[in-house]
Amino acid sequence: MKRPPAVLELISELKRLPGIGQKTAERLSFFLMRGTLDQARRLANSIVKVKEKIVLCSECHSITESDPCDICRDPRRDPSQICVVEEPHDVFVLESMGEFQGKYHVLMGAISPLDGIGPESLTLEDLKTRVASKGPIREVILATNPNMEGESTAVYISKLLKPYEVRVTRIARGLPMGGDLEYADPVTLKKSLEGRMDMP
Amino acid sequence: MALYNTEAVVLRTINFSETDKLCTLYSRNFGKVKCVAKSARRLKSRYGAALEPLSYIKTIYFGKEGQELYRLNHCDILKSFQSVREDIGKLYTGVYFLELVDTLVHDGESAPHLFDFILEALRQIQKQKDLEILRRMFEIRFISLLGYLPNLSVCLICKKEPGKSGIGFNFQRGGIVCPTCRPRELSETHFSVGTWNYLKKLLTFDIQYSDRIKLPKALQDEIEQVTHRMILSHTGRELKSYPFIKQMVSL
Ligand SMILES: [Zn+2]
Ligand SMILES: [Zn+2]
Repeated sequence: MKRPPAVLELISELKRLPGIGQKTAERLSFFLMRGTLDQARRLANSIVKVKEKIVLCSECHSITESDPCDICRDPRRDPSQICVVEEPHDVFVLESMGEFQGKYHVLMGAISPLDGIGPESLTLEDLKTRVASKGPIREVILATNPNMEGESTAVYISKLLKPYEVRVTRIARGLPMGGDLEYADPVTLKKSLEGRMDMP
Repeated sequence: MALYNTEAVVLRTINFSETDKLCTLYSRNFGKVKCVAKSARRLKSRYGAALEPLSYIKTIYFGKEGQELYRLNHCDILKSFQSVREDIGKLYTGVYFLELVDTLVHDGESAPHLFDFILEALRQIQKQKDLEILRRMFEIRFISLLGYLPNLSVCLICKKEPGKSGIGFNFQRGGIVCPTCRPRELSETHFSVGTWNYLKKLLTFDIQYSDRIKLPKALQDEIEQVTHRMILSHTGRELKSYPFIKQMVSL
């Protein structure tokens, strides 16, 4: 028996989410069908709400409900340090550590040839502008993931920022290669931030 | 269920689920295989850098013979090529080689001599300053090792050696066409006698001596036109990593 079109549509929408394949999409769709109409509405509404309320901060590109974001607006944060991360999610990981007092810059990804993601798909122009503007930035800390994409993005950025009078550092190699920042525990992360080194 | 024990080069690793990675390996004993590495996304994963592309590893994986996905059991790094990772030009040259292997080699075809060639090419990236020559040498030698040896000695049509410049190349048939026969045969590019001589040299040169040969700047584009298009005639499309090499050179 063929599935009703509405079900097929739901499955194909779910499959567009990262990490969701056919099987998982089917499982999720059956779960949703078994639930109440109210539950389904709540889920649908919260998805729409996120899209309506959440914007990207025009300064750091992190996600926020008001632009500029709380961190960019906070006068107590040190404007001389910028920590560069791949995803908005990484900002929250670093914030949960409670150690870093500077501001952020979210790249929206990492350079990845095999996925066709080049420097131009990232927010690098904005980073350059932030550094080039005669502002207070003295140090750029590169906290991209400790894997091939993150490492090469860090090398690329340090080359890109060479012409400017700014110190470029990389969080310590203490972070094991091959991992994702989002899985780091706060202690490891704190150590790697303290042990950051100047880029060649 | 069988246990496989082999050396391998990591071609590509992608996130497979919340916790796992899927890696494509080119192994010495069993050719190209795909393995799932459980819990590899955790920062304290036992695999560490072993699953990063370019890594030369010793590995044990298991599964039923001929199945599509195997389970990774153990990995030791033999060589991580760290210095290649720290230089973008070298890194993307390496990524280009790996993409070529992943694109043109079929799953499960074992060819130890091809494995040794690829490993040596990665070692050369580490040593060699002139990456341009290495890329050209890799392209023409790799295509030949896959069984598509280009015919560079005599013209496809008249079987004579071309005596002067204006030599054509037919990518479909994989051979040169002399200036006299060129009007009668489809040839998508043409080059000088100088380029022809370098192509012959590249074809037979052992890649481990790649630093003993220099390409004249003036011929570089012509040579790339031939060797890179040889590759494209087999892949049917441009490689994703190739434009990155060009982009990084200009940085
Ligand atoms: Zn912000
Ligand atoms: Zn001829």
